Amino acid sequence: MKFKPTLVASLLAVYVAVPLLFGADNYVMSLVIASLVIGGIALSWALLGNLGGMVSFGHAAFFGVGAYTSAVLSMQYHVPVFAALVLGGAGAVIAALLMLPVLRLRGPYFALAILAYAHIFRIVASEWSSVTGGAAGIGNIPRLPTVLGIDFSSKTGNYLVILTIVLVFALAYALIRRSPHGLALRAMHDSDDATRVVGVNNTLLKGMMLLVSAFMCGVVGAFNAHYINFLEPDYAFSALWVTIPIVAAIFGGYRTITGPLVGAVVVYLVDQLIVKNLLPSGHQMVLGIVLVAMIVASPDGLLALVRKITRKKHAAT
Amino acid sequence: MTELILQAVYSGLLQGGSYALIALGLALVFGAMKVINLAHGELVLLSAYIAYTVESKLGWNPMAAIPISVVIVCIASSAVYFVVGRIKTNREINSLTLTYGIGVILTNVILMTWKADVRTTNSTWMQEAIVVGPFYSMRSEVLFFGVSVALIVGLWWWLSRSWYGRAVRAVSSNRDAAKLMGINPGRTELVSFIVAGILAAFAGVALFSYGVITPAYGGVLTVKAFIITVLAGMGSIPGVLIGAILLGVAESLTVTLASSALQELAGMGLFLLVLFVMPNGLFGASRRRG
Repeated sequence: MKFKPTLVASLLAVYVAVPLLFGADNYVMSLVIASLVIGGIALSWALLGNLGGMVSFGHAAFFGVGAYTSAVLSMQYHVPVFAALVLGGAGAVIAALLMLPVLRLRGPYFALAILAYAHIFRIVASEWSSVTGGAAGIGNIPRLPTVLGIDFSSKTGNYLVILTIVLVFALAYALIRRSPHGLALRAMHDSDDATRVVGVNNTLLKGMMLLVSAFMCGVVGAFNAHYINFLEPDYAFSALWVTIPIVAAIFGGYRTITGPLVGAVVVYLVDQLIVKNLLPSGHQMVLGIVLVAMIVASPDGLLALVRKITRKKHAAT
Repeated sequence: MTELILQAVYSGLLQGGSYALIALGLALVFGAMKVINLAHGELVLLSAYIAYTVESKLGWNPMAAIPISVVIVCIASSAVYFVVGRIKTNREINSLTLTYGIGVILTNVILMTWKADVRTTNSTWMQEAIVVGPFYSMRSEVLFFGVSVALIVGLWWWLSRSWYGRAVRAVSSNRDAAKLMGINPGRTELVSFIVAGILAAFAGVALFSYGVITPAYGGVLTVKAFIITVLAGMGSIPGVLIGAILLGVAESLTVTLASSALQELAGMGLFLLVLFVMPNGLFGASRRRG
């Protein structure tokens, strides 16, 4: 990657300036952390949607499985928390492996099958109470530890960890997209059969994207479990973990890497700070309205819409 | 034990009737427009809540809600059609996210209008026991099973004999050829949405009359309808009815033999089994889906 001064400046800003400015304010930091969690899921969703060409309504499954794996491993088997985060991702990959048979279904069938899977995992989590604590949930999940004198259990520490996770995933996404596999995946959008003819194993590549996406989402879910220290099936597998990221990714533009992240911050903050005050019980309705409006007006995101409008203006003048 | 099992099979069979109505609506729209309406379960739920309002506010039998439900659900269903029709690019994928968004809107409208409480019918007439041979059920279950079968026969007649029904099938099998024969595909798609809305309205009133409803139930219904269409394979009305009955029986057997919490897992197990063993469904034509 080329050296970009703006990149370094923004990295400095997010790593140093945000904690210095808002580190003392717990409310602001919790909003920022929550929007980064949403951003992480949105990124993993967009990777599957953009590179894999698959719409998933089942990412709550990966989020929940990652969360439970990490919580159970760190509590019952005393695995160090940071290792448990990665293993949480691995747990989500195992969940995704169970989903591989649905890859033989295409398009809408895949989307619904993965939605159905999310239901299974939620039921398993509430019924397998010897491990998951059942519907009552698990409390006292260990916080992130203190490493090298940095207390990661504080709000600022949590922020640095989730920020790093999301940035590493964004980098991994960029690398995959630039690789020959990324090229093959993009070619697949134009013609599934043509890419098959030139010797690309479509199903294998799609399956790999599902696993990568599941891993990312699982790690984010695991982080969230250690951050809020509590898990219950209805929370961990809530449809909210699908709805907000989808809205965020579509809003920001799911074919770009920064789009889902920017979308997550904007959508989550607007939802929490403005809409929730106006409509306390049905504030998610606005998410649905935004989603419908975006798909009708500009499925490639707000930026594409702005570009389209300005181009029209240029053409007019 | 055998009696219990037979009773469970009987209850599942009756439940299958309304499941079939929901699944047929989903399949009809998918056939005509190649769009899976992820808000379909919410349309059914909307009708169920209208039945609740009619019963609790006016004190009428839930059956009286059917005309109102049909009108409102058909309007909502047509609204879905018009919004989906506005998608310009990549309709297959965008329509999924779009209808998912409509589902979120409807769920929250239901939540705000009727609150999160669990609702069920208070009509004693509906809940009265009906004994058929050795089997027991509520009157509403038998009644709506009959209504479902009648509607399915009506749908079959409509699809095979009426002009619009044939038009829907023509558009499903070849859109361009249908156009050349003077069929307006847009209007045909709208008709398929409206018929799906009628089926959903009846299914919703049925669900309210013998079951419990909560605002979050819509998504579950969509998944069930989808499982049935996978079981049945595309393009077979008797297949959908049998798939729906299979799902109903599997669920009620799970409740009887294991626990009610595992009810949804039964359907999923059935779904995965079919997916692995015969991906074209039990009655589907042997071609690749999707």
